Amino acid sequence: MRRTPLVVTATVAGLAGVLAFHTTPSRLSLGTSPGAPGTSPTPAAAGPSGSQRGQSGSGSSSPPPSGPAAKAPPGGTRTVTGPAVNYNYGVLSVSVTVSGGKIAKVGIASIDDGGMQRSQYIDQQAIPILEQEALQAQSANIQGVSGASYTSAGFQQSLQAALQTLGFK
Amino acid sequence: MGTVVTIDVYTTDSRAGTDVSRQLATARAILQHADAVFSTWQPHSPVSRLRRGEIALAEAPAEVSEVLGQCAIARELSGGWFDPWAMPGGIDPTGYVKGWAAQKALGAFRASGICGAIVNAAGDIASFGSLGPGQPFRIGIADPFSPRRLIEVVYLTGAIATSGTYERGNHLIDPNTGRPAARAASASVTGPDLGLADALATALAVAGAPGLDMVEALDGYEALIIAPDGSRRWTQHFPFAPHEAAPPARPR
Repeated sequence: MRRTPLVVTATVAGLAGVLAFHTTPSRLSLGTSPGAPGTSPTPAAAGPSGSQRGQSGSGSSSPPPSGPAAKAPPGGTRTVTGPAVNYNYGVLSVSVTVSGGKIAKVGIASIDDGGMQRSQYIDQQAIPILEQEALQAQSANIQGVSGASYTSAGFQQSLQAALQTLGFK
Repeated sequence: MGTVVTIDVYTTDSRAGTDVSRQLATARAILQHADAVFSTWQPHSPVSRLRRGEIALAEAPAEVSEVLGQCAIARELSGGWFDPWAMPGGIDPTGYVKGWAAQKALGAFRASGICGAIVNAAGDIASFGSLGPGQPFRIGIADPFSPRRLIEVVYLTGAIATSGTYERGNHLIDPNTGRPAARAASASVTGPDLGLADALATALAVAGAPGLDMVEALDGYEALIIAPDGSRRWTQHFPFAPHEAAPPARPR
């Protein structure tokens, strides 16, 4: 029996700052998709978050394009910009380009962080993560990617501390 | 440094949507609570206050003791290679907390109509279930030499964590020799619990292939190490999946 699972994807910005204490914390929310009834996002009090949901085929976890315009999986190529959402330091929106029902590109469409350097920071930190998730979505046969790419700062601190303690030679 | 957590819930019944939304909210709350308790940059978080000696462990929320207990176990199991007590600035369990919190958030999804769920905390992944009967989750492992590519695919039962040194260059210098010290470009650990898998992956990234024995000795945990020269070593039952359909595997 072939199943076409309903895939519910929520991007949660909950752990910012847990990972490291040397760098500026950042929290990021993706746009929300009000397209399906009964799934209105319910941002938690501690910070805004969004959820995305939609149908996918063949078990792919590709999130749907977000935004009010996103209702059905598109056949061609199009770009959808999600709604501007609040995050801890301002407002941002995310754009998703979908081609043939799969995500081709993800990026920050707009960001207003009050002129802080965090815009650049978020670009550096979050976009690679989004791209990685786009990568996984492009394959119909995997549901995620495991990698150290984006946790390296906390990881390296831990490693170096361990090395020093151990007198590693 | 922040991270983005992505949650995928696979349902067998489209009517599960409302329940799932509620569970997503619960998972979100769990992650945000973990952040509030364990953040080392928020000066008033319990862990920050603990690090400054303003409160005793007994005065911190119960989760702090729980996590530190788990960290002690992970330190033991990793032969000391994973050690949150050795952090500059005082004890810092953050290396464990991300996996722990993701694992805990996963616990929000246990309703009927769900065949599986994945909580992906920027590459460290907790899961239960599958896509459906006979369709295990497949998770790609990023190529440490080309992180936008995949180097392997695994069948996922439970959790997988990957640690490595590649994204920011090799900053791990042995203070004694002044030479790069990490003995693995990438170390991935699978097993039932993401917190421990993450700790073990961190340990293996430094220890390199000789550390595989410690994982081999642990029930339910498997490991794959990619050495700086690209060669690979793994434990006996590492759950490799065929991956000809995976995106651009670099020929080796």
